[in-house]
Order: sequence, then C-alpha cells, then structure tokens
Amino acid sequence: MTAVRTMPDGEAPATAPAAPGAPAPRSPGRMRRALKAVTPGPTPDAGGAAIYRRWWLPWLWMLPAVFGAAAFGVFPFLNTLLLSFTDAKPLGGAAGFVGLDNYTRMLGDSDFWLATRNSVLYALIVVPLMVVLPLLLAVLVEKNLPGIGFFRSAFYTPVLASSVVVGLSWQWLLADQGLVNTWLEKAHVIRGAIPFLSDSWLILLSAMGLTLWKGLGWYMIFYLAALGNVPKELHEAASVDGAGAARRFWHITVPGVRTSMMLVGTLTGIGSLRVFTEIYMLGGSTGGPGGADRTLPFYIRDVGLDPLSGNAGYGAAVSVALFVLTLGLTLLAQRLTKEDES
Amino acid sequence: MRARRLTGSLSCLVVLTLTAAGCGLSGGSDDGGATAGGCSVDKGNVGSGKLTGDVKGKITFQTTNLKKDFGKYFNGVIASFEKAHPGTTVKWIDDPGDSQFTQRLVADAQACTLPDVVNLNVNTSISLTKAGYLLDLDKKAPGSGAPFGPAIWKSSMFTDASGAKTHSAYPWYSGGIAQTFNVDLMKKAGLDPAKPATTILGMFDDALKIAKVSGGKYYATVANPIWRIPADWQQMGVKVLSDDGKSFTFADDPKTVAWVTAMTKMYQAGAMPKDSLSSNQDASTLYAQGKLVYGSTNPNYLRFIQQNNPSVYKKTGVAQYMLDDLGHTVGAPQYISVAATSKNAPTALSFAQFLTNAQNQLEWAKDPNVVIFPSTTASLDDPFFQSVKGTDPFSEARKIVAEDRKTSTADEIALSPGELNAITAQVQLAMQGKKSAEDALKEAQSKADELLKQGS
Repeated sequence: MTAVRTMPDGEAPATAPAAPGAPAPRSPGRMRRALKAVTPGPTPDAGGAAIYRRWWLPWLWMLPAVFGAAAFGVFPFLNTLLLSFTDAKPLGGAAGFVGLDNYTRMLGDSDFWLATRNSVLYALIVVPLMVVLPLLLAVLVEKNLPGIGFFRSAFYTPVLASSVVVGLSWQWLLADQGLVNTWLEKAHVIRGAIPFLSDSWLILLSAMGLTLWKGLGWYMIFYLAALGNVPKELHEAASVDGAGAARRFWHITVPGVRTSMMLVGTLTGIGSLRVFTEIYMLGGSTGGPGGADRTLPFYIRDVGLDPLSGNAGYGAAVSVALFVLTLGLTLLAQRLTKEDES
Repeated sequence: MRARRLTGSLSCLVVLTLTAAGCGLSGGSDDGGATAGGCSVDKGNVGSGKLTGDVKGKITFQTTNLKKDFGKYFNGVIASFEKAHPGTTVKWIDDPGDSQFTQRLVADAQACTLPDVVNLNVNTSISLTKAGYLLDLDKKAPGSGAPFGPAIWKSSMFTDASGAKTHSAYPWYSGGIAQTFNVDLMKKAGLDPAKPATTILGMFDDALKIAKVSGGKYYATVANPIWRIPADWQQMGVKVLSDDGKSFTFADDPKTVAWVTAMTKMYQAGAMPKDSLSSNQDASTLYAQGKLVYGSTNPNYLRFIQQNNPSVYKKTGVAQYMLDDLGHTVGAPQYISVAATSKNAPTALSFAQFLTNAQNQLEWAKDPNVVIFPSTTASLDDPFFQSVKGTDPFSEARKIVAEDRKTSTADEIALSPGELNAITAQVQLAMQGKKSAEDALKEAQSKADELLKQGS
C-alpha cells in the first residue's frame, strides 16, 4: 500500500542512532594493547596492523548498513518532516514554506479526528485480542498429537492468502445474502440480514475480525517458538503439586512467553494503526458509507497521496501525526509493562 | 577525541541527509532557455509558431495495457509509419496500466523523460497540460484537429499553465456509453424494454417500480453513488464545476437535490442491494448473475457478460443512453499526446497524427474482440459502423454507440479520487437517511472545494 511507504517508519529513528555502535571505536585500543604484547621493537605501528586503527575504518564496515538506514529510513523520515511544513504538490513545481499551517488545518479537521478515533479504537481492540488469542491457539496445537500438523497448517493458511482474496471471501461471507446471514436466518436466529457491509460500526468491527483472523496464524508461530523454551519440568513439577491446566497456563506458560507477548503487542499495535486494506475491501473506496470507517492511512491517501492533485504537504503532516501516535502508544505500552514488572 | 569524531561524522550525515531532503523539495531549475514544466526543452517545442523539422530519428511511444491483446495491430501501425518515413524508429513501450500508472507517469514527467508520444486518460491529460508537459497542438500543429468529430475535438480542451483553454491531446478511441438491461426482468417489473428511460430521473422512477415487484429477488442497479457521480449530473445538465475551474457548483442546482432525493428513495425502497452502498463492485458482476435489471453502461462489458453468463447475455437489451437535458452523451476518450519535453517533437507529432488518423483507428475498431469507437468522422461514417448486420447485443451496441459518438463530447472535468470520495461519502449518508439531500450536497461541495483548493 502506498500510504505506508511514504509514512515515517516506526523503526527508522531507532535504527539510525544505533548504527554508530559503541564497540567499534574501542576495538583499535584493544588491538593496540594486544599488539604491544606480542610485537617486540619500538615501532609496533609500522606493521600492517596500523590500517586497522584508522578512525574511519569501523564506519567503512558499517557503510552498507548505514547507507541503507539513511536512504530508506532517515531520509524519507526527514523528508516527510520537512514536507509537512510546505504546500508541496506532485506537479506544482517548487514547494513553498507554510509554517505550521498544515498542522493547524489538521487539528481543526473533523475528518482527521474521526480517522484518529478509528485507528486508536482499532489498536485498543485488536492488540489485546491479538496478544491473547494466538497464545491460546499455540497452546492448543503445541502438543504433538496425531494429525496436529493439519490444524497448525490450517491456522496458518490465512497468513499466506493475499489480502485481496481474503477481502473478497469476507465480502461473500458478510454480504446481506452471504453465508453468515443465510445461516443465521435459516437457524432462525435473526429475521432480516445483519448489515455487516453497510453499517459503519459493523464494517469497522468486521475489519478488525479480518485483521485478527489473518494475523492469528502468524503470531501463533511466534508463540510456538516461545513455548518451546518454557521448561517442561516446571509444568511437571506444578502438576505434581496439584496445579490444574488453567493454573499452570497462568503461572508458568504466561510468564514464560512474556517477552513474546510484549513483542506481539508492540508489532500488532504498530500494524493496527496502519490498517488500510481491510477497510478498503469491506467499506469500499470511501471507507464505509460517509467515510465513517476511514483510518489514518486511509485519510492520508485521500488528502495527500493522489499522484496528480494530492497535497503532499498536508499528507506529510498527517503522517507525522500518525508517527507520533505510534511512538506514543509504543512508549506507553513499554512503560505499562515495566511498571507491571516492578 | 573520539567523541569529537563521532559528533563530526554524525553532523556530516545529518547535513547530507538534509541537503538531499532539500533537493527532494525543489522543483526544476530554469537556465533562461526554453522550458516546459521546469525542464529545458528545444526552443521549437514551446512558444508560438508552428513546429517544423524533419521527420526522422528515434522516438518512444507509450500505450497503456494494450500489448497483450493488440500487439499485432500496433506493430503493424509502427511498421507502416517507419516505412512511410524512412530513417524513423518508433520504440513501443506498453505500461501495464495498474494502480501505479499515474505515479510512474508523473515521475517520468518530473524527470523530463516523458515518452515522446504517450497515451493518457482525462485525469493525466488535465494535470500534465496544466503543468506544461504537453505540446500545445493549437500553436504547434494548427488545423490538425480537422479529421476528428467536431463535438469531440471541440470539447477535448484543457487549461494550460496560463489559464487558457488549449488542445494538448488528440482524442483517440473510446468505449462509448449505452443502456444495457435484462429484458426478462424488465418485463417482469411491468416495464416495456422497447421504451427504456430517456432521462436519468425517469430511469430512477422505473427502478422504484422494479423494487415494488422484485421482493428482494432482483434489483434495479447497485447503490454506490460513486458509479454515477458526476456523469449523471452532467447528463442532467448540471454545472458541476465553475468556468474558471476553481470551485464546485453542483450543490447550487436544484436538479442535484432531486437526484439525491431519488437515489435515497430507491435505496430505501429496495431497488438496490443494501450492502452495495459503499461496495467496490460495480453493476457488471451482479448483472451477469441475473440479479440486476440495469447492467454496466460500458458496452465492452457485454463481452464479460457473454463469457460469464451466456443466458443473461441472450436476454440483454441495448438502447441509446439517456440523453436527458444535455441532449448528447459525455464520456472521456483515451488521448494521445506529444511531450513538450520531446527531443524529436516533429517525428513524435507526425506519429501521433498517423496513429490517430481515420484509417488506423478504423482498422483497430474492426478487431472482432473489442467494442471500441474511433474519434475521427471518416471512420465513424464507414460502412463497418453504418450498416451493422445482426441483432445480438454486440451488434446492437455497435450500431447505437457509433451514431451516438458523432455528437458525444469529451469530459472537460475530471474529479480527483479524493474529491470523488468526499462527494460520494456525503451522498451515501443522505441515502442512509442520516442527512437531508440539501445538507449532504452542501457538505460535499464544501469538502470537494477544500480539496480542490489544496490540490491545485
């Protein structure tokens, strides 16, 4: 999706300062001491090893990675930041500096706030479910029972399917005369179709369902790997002490995969703030009737990404807002986890 | 010491990045010579005075997604041109025409490397003309519009950088527009297939009759207003955009209010599937399943129906599109333009005229696998279009649309996707009964105006 590409990357600023790593400048010193120890004579520097002491050498080793991070992370990020203070347009010639105009417009735009609400709501509902459900699924399929491979593969299949195919299938499922409504009507649970695809709240919830369904298998794999590291002895010992399955899950499994849960939480948090395809597939190009289901990336596409008439400056300002929101939520999650730990 | 080196290196990196970022913001430079769209160009390509020069050398020619089906035809046209003008070479590029098409085109334009002869749609023609990337045909090739149908040529004008209307593209092929409908379902609803509606609101009235008898088993059409905006309004004679192109005017016309009110009635009465209000699917799929009375207005979809459901194809009737208050149809053809940045503009111009001439356009239209209509008068007058035999929907469509093309005009306005979404969203709210037609249109106009102001 184009919206994501031009947006500041959540990871970008973190990778850049990390690049000039601390161990690099230290190594020549260590090497010098080592050389002094083994090299007799007054001029150890005259040896070929001197080349390893040039200050720029570690930079040379890091150049490909630094270049990659600068070209695809730092540069687009800074460019977006700069663009957000301009009125740049794709075919408008030179961009003019407009100060904080784009930000002022953004804060006064009810559509922006609606999109922000939808994105935040998406994260608040999807993240907890995405942290817990795949873990339960992983616990279910972890045991090596006959035929378990089938279930593992089945749960993983949605991850492999393309978003468009998944979106179309869900459209057929949720249509007024689709599978879900037909079943419910036949079972006399409902009279008249549930408007999954025309009610804005139901579209948003259905899109969340789609995100969850598509992500379950992926994060299940994360947890399967983590579960492998939880010592079996702990479970055995707890069983001997009379702990039931629920208790063992709560007191052994959950603490054992805690790090993975934090990772899944962070990743899905970032992912759910970037949701576009699910809304587009179920809510159409307006983002639901009246545009009521538009998320921030959707809004950015509408105002800033049209290659002919998009307002790149305003689009960039909203992108920066999305970045700040992502960063804010990630930091908040980290703080909450730390407090929890302490 | 180490800290200083580190600081130095980091500063270098930041300065480099900022410089690069700065470059990303700046436009093209102006060296005082002839320029078009910020690119230095040959003096003959811009300003007044006819374009002169030898037709020889190499040019590039870009089409949009035509190689797979029509490779033979284009290679033939290129070979004849090269034969007629010895010493010329035409390098043919076929863009896949996917969602990134416009982005690639804009990137080419900004890099001053647009193909010499390029196939454009109405949106890109409007924007590239405004930015000065296309050759002004009125100045550089006066009189070259003569072969085209007067109505289509007169309306194929776009606003240039100075705000003046000019020809910057030759109208090329067009899919045309016609009414298609399921004759059986129409009869079931008590409508006469021999007398289809002649106005938009007339058709909406028929749709209400359909809703009354269908009982949810079939529908008149799909609900999403995105497929009808702004075409329906234009057909009803509504002025959508002000003359200077700087503000929208559709909400000021009572006809648009009547249109939104009628759409709301149809939606509420069940003339359209409720779940299609914001759906990306147009009428063609449901029509092919025999669930809609009115099919797509693009005659090319008849082939899709024929392939997907021959029984529905056999029941399909075709009629002239509703002429309504406008009195003729409007539709954007494909365009052929010459880049103002071309290094070999005389050859490019000559090839553009050759490609769009009556003979070459007719030859392509005769391809049995496609229903397309030429823009030149002589080709539309050809017996191929004038004495169509057969009564199958394909032949009917060819006959009806060829006649219609003679008076049809080109779209002089094109909503950007953002504007279209903003307007559509408000109409959807009205259809759901969440807003009055007047309020929805006012809000739609104000949102579209804001986007227009920001994007121009």
